[in-house]
Amino acid sequence: MRSSGRVRQPLLPLGGIMRLNIVHRTRYRYSSPVSENFNEVRLQPVSDDGQECHHYELKTSPVASLRRYHDFHLNLVDHFYIGEPHESLEIEARSVVTTLRDPRRLEGVSFPRSRLGECLRLERCYDFLQRSEYVAQDVEVWRMAQDVGMGHDDAWGLALAMLHHVYREFTYDPAATTVHTRLLEVLALKRGVCQDFAHIMIGLCRISGIPARYVSGYLYVKPGENLRGELASHAWVEVYLPGHGWLGLDPTNNCPVDQHHVKMAVGRDYADAAPIRGNFKGRASQQMTVDLKIVREDLDA
Amino acid sequence: MTQANAKSPAAPKVDPATTVEAPPETWLAGYRPLRGVFDEAMTADGEERAAYRSLFRELNELDTSEMRRRAETAQRIIHEQGITYNVYGDPRGMERPWGLDPLPFVIAAEEWRRLEAGLIQRAQLLNRILADCYGDQLLIRNSGLPPALVFAQPDFLRPCHGITPSDGRLLHFYAADLGRSPDGRWWVISDRTQIPTGSGYALANRLVTSRVLPEAFRACQVQRLAPYFRELRSTLAALSPRRVEDPRVVLLTPGPYNETYFEQAWLARYLGYSLVEGQDLTVRDDRVWLKTLSGLEPVDVILRRVDDDWCDPLELRNDSSLGVPGLVEALRAGNVAVANSLGTGLVQSPALMAFLPGLCRDLLGEELKLPSVATWWCGQPGELAHVLDHLDRLVVRPALRSGPRLPEFAGKPTEAQRDQVRRLVAFQPHAFIAQERVELATAPSWDGGRVVPHPVAVRCYLVASGDSYRVMPGGLTRVTPEPGARFISMQLGGSSKDTWVLADGPIEEVSLLQAGAQSVELRRVGNNLPSRLADNYYWLGRYCERADATARLLRATLVRFSPESTGSSAPLLDPLLSALSAQGQLEGLAERPDLRANPEALEAELLAAIFSPDRRGSLRHLAGQLQHLATLVRDRTSNDLWRVLSTIDDRVTIPATGKVILAGDAVGVLNQTILGLASFHGMARENMTRAQGWRFLDMGVRIERCIYLSTFLDCALRSAEADNPSVLESVLDVADSTITYRSRYNLLPNIAAVYDLVVLDDTNPRSLLFQLNQLVKHFERLPREKQSALPSPAYRCLIECSTRVRLADPRPLAGMGGRWRESEIGVAIEQTLRDLPRLSDAIAVSYFAHSTTSRTGEGVA
Repeated sequence: MRSSGRVRQPLLPLGGIMRLNIVHRTRYRYSSPVSENFNEVRLQPVSDDGQECHHYELKTSPVASLRRYHDFHLNLVDHFYIGEPHESLEIEARSVVTTLRDPRRLEGVSFPRSRLGECLRLERCYDFLQRSEYVAQDVEVWRMAQDVGMGHDDAWGLALAMLHHVYREFTYDPAATTVHTRLLEVLALKRGVCQDFAHIMIGLCRISGIPARYVSGYLYVKPGENLRGELASHAWVEVYLPGHGWLGLDPTNNCPVDQHHVKMAVGRDYADAAPIRGNFKGRASQQMTVDLKIVREDLDA
Repeated sequence: MTQANAKSPAAPKVDPATTVEAPPETWLAGYRPLRGVFDEAMTADGEERAAYRSLFRELNELDTSEMRRRAETAQRIIHEQGITYNVYGDPRGMERPWGLDPLPFVIAAEEWRRLEAGLIQRAQLLNRILADCYGDQLLIRNSGLPPALVFAQPDFLRPCHGITPSDGRLLHFYAADLGRSPDGRWWVISDRTQIPTGSGYALANRLVTSRVLPEAFRACQVQRLAPYFRELRSTLAALSPRRVEDPRVVLLTPGPYNETYFEQAWLARYLGYSLVEGQDLTVRDDRVWLKTLSGLEPVDVILRRVDDDWCDPLELRNDSSLGVPGLVEALRAGNVAVANSLGTGLVQSPALMAFLPGLCRDLLGEELKLPSVATWWCGQPGELAHVLDHLDRLVVRPALRSGPRLPEFAGKPTEAQRDQVRRLVAFQPHAFIAQERVELATAPSWDGGRVVPHPVAVRCYLVASGDSYRVMPGGLTRVTPEPGARFISMQLGGSSKDTWVLADGPIEEVSLLQAGAQSVELRRVGNNLPSRLADNYYWLGRYCERADATARLLRATLVRFSPESTGSSAPLLDPLLSALSAQGQLEGLAERPDLRANPEALEAELLAAIFSPDRRGSLRHLAGQLQHLATLVRDRTSNDLWRVLSTIDDRVTIPATGKVILAGDAVGVLNQTILGLASFHGMARENMTRAQGWRFLDMGVRIERCIYLSTFLDCALRSAEADNPSVLESVLDVADSTITYRSRYNLLPNIAAVYDLVVLDDTNPRSLLFQLNQLVKHFERLPREKQSALPSPAYRCLIECSTRVRLADPRPLAGMGGRWRESEIGVAIEQTLRDLPRLSDAIAVSYFAHSTTSRTGEGVA
């Protein structure tokens, strides 16, 4: 199953607080028994100045003991292992999060493009200015970035222009790509899902000197709201501007990140922030189904 | 931070043609160094240097022909010991004999001590840099180490950040390539911190050289290598997180296709470690285990020969099938030690060389003792400008392992090519470095009858020892294939030399096998056999026997086959030809009935079944398979066994002279092959302990012998002439029972008596029942059969089979008149033939079931 979660503009109301109850079940079925199944899970919502995670719980079936650690990008990782042969694996993550991102805080953000060179000397930015596994740096990307960037002196203005450009030029199409699709392929197809939109925008930002990173998370969409694709996990972009820190932009929905977004993990691209990643022994093929429910406790309940 | 570079002196031009030629008195007296280059043995005035004096004095005792003989002996030892180096994509076959120049590289004690001090300091410095990069990263913040030198390196493994061993040591092994410039100073050309390869080859070189030049070796007071390896063993043992007396250390290899597999097997055997592949290990509860025949055994220390990013398909490269999933997590939990630690490839980058002098002052408070080749990293504006201005005398190289490449030029680059380099460097400056050219020093090298100066570089090896390092007193000296060449690469056909570090005191005599004063717990079983090795032994046994059976069938056919008698004898050859066809040695016999009537074509087919390398099942093909399987158990087999198998392969290889082979010659080759295999069996029986490895080898032999014997007997019983004395004679011949038959029965072969002897007689080591009985004995001793109350499916199948054969009555055969296969014997043979593949599969499932593939699934919501 692929990331989706695209809604029509605008996401109203602006600037509220949401308390979200999230149940995320991922089920794998294997065509024949597998063993030595190792998994890394990045499903815990972060707590930062835009959201707070009150509760998080991860269960697996078959039962496994979990080990937790922080990875290089300081994401919380749950690591577990199932040795005995099994034909299915279920991973259930439950969390309760309050989100309070007010997009109005972005008013007045500004940073001169001419000073972007300073970012390269910050160790927290270096990784997010280079090519990475999914995000190649290529002359095509550079050309597109040149076209979009023409006439922009301000880095924030440039980032917003790229946001709009990606939303406008790329078609949302869950059938066009897979989780393994790299940036250059998306660039040729001109279509994809949130993961691909995020990679394109990251590529454009990095080649223009704006540090950009990949964010994996959820998007809450009110029942009945205009919705493209099914509800599932989501991905977007954060750009770094000195003095302002990391700022979230959602190219799939053409908007800044707000209280509808629940952030789980960050990284250079999808490879660093993948919600679940595993390795097993056996000749089986696997089939995955995902079941995600997000309930707004302060309203829907 | 500024890049501090000591200036290496400009190298003068060398023209090999300017070598001063003098009429040689002896082969050695003609040696003259090249002009303008430092020579290790001789000053520019033609005077011997002190270090080489004893060597030259001893060598002068040998005349040219004696020296030539010794050089040939060296080649023979290399061939016999199977010292090889794998060259990727080599059409001549994968394994290439190791290149060794018998003349050693000599270095004086005093000079060596200075080098040692510099190398130890450098190892400590690199270790400190690693500890910082995988820890607090203060060097980036405080010492001005550019972030690109850490973050842009593909060798910086993010999942390993924060995993710092308790003693702060990440770099346990380090090697440096050293070269000497024309003024006699030593420079570090490159650092090896990922997997410092070659110490095993250094050991092999020592073995060969000390054997072919024993007088010189004694006279020169050469420091021994063994103390270094003893230190290595105690260092690895001390790394064990479990406080046990005898921690389990394994050598993790990428497998036999790796270029230095020979060295890995050799080292594993010399050091007494299990040679394991990723699939032999598993992680459970954050601990690493070795899968053996009797279950899982804990692993404490992994000596790594797999590149670090391939070590864990879960957290590092997903496409790796060489690693162990969960290894990084086991490291994080502190339950296993890996040497070198994962991530050490980071400081191997040549770009770091530019910053070492400053980092050395910051971290150690000392000046760098051993300079690097002058290096500029283009990621800084000043350095970039310098490099672009001096492209004519600098060598530009990629700074990142997986970064952009430069076009390759043959010879001196043109102005247009230089422009191309300039554009590439200016586009991504951080991905490039530039270095000064170093004109390597030369040393006397044996060149088939004379001695000439060849450029050399020395690779030195260090191992952690206490809180410092110990340098191997010796090393791997590499020699360029031609004078004046700039690059040294074993892949490109370079040669090597033993490295003699002279002692100025008495020599310490150590052997790794000496336990000293420690008391030893006596053992009757070795370390438990990994399942994969049991698998390989089993197939080695099977292929040995298959080669033997094939040779016997072909020989029996060829001696009975004479072109003028084809017409009458054809039906008598039928069982042999059908058996060869059923075993896959003769293709398309059934589809080509004309073959039987056409003796020339048939003879060509039979010869192809021996010599054709492309035909599956040909003797040549089997010999290749045998050699390959022997490689897989290389660390566990004696050199003699290895030698025997090599000779078989040599025999069935036709010399490339296009000579016509006669059937008579072919019979000679088959005789030789059968003798060779007999000596393999004899050696296995007399020299291998009755442990699990031998057991699986012999099980393979027995099962294969059952298969071919019952295949052949089944073919013979199908024939209309099954009771014809000639056919029965060929049965006795293939089953190697002719003499026994003659000693028992003073008459022409009788069908009941022959089948009793080759099927039912359990005193005949070639009979079917004998093989089945042996298999039963082996099964009774297998670890899992001993433990469980009920026989396993494999054992059950075997018991059925052997009981059926034992109960068959051969006497009615004589009266069956053509319906031989319906007799009890015929039925028993046919069912055995059907059951044996099942038995083999059942053994594989019970004992080798580890080899299921590992795959990575990405679960994405």
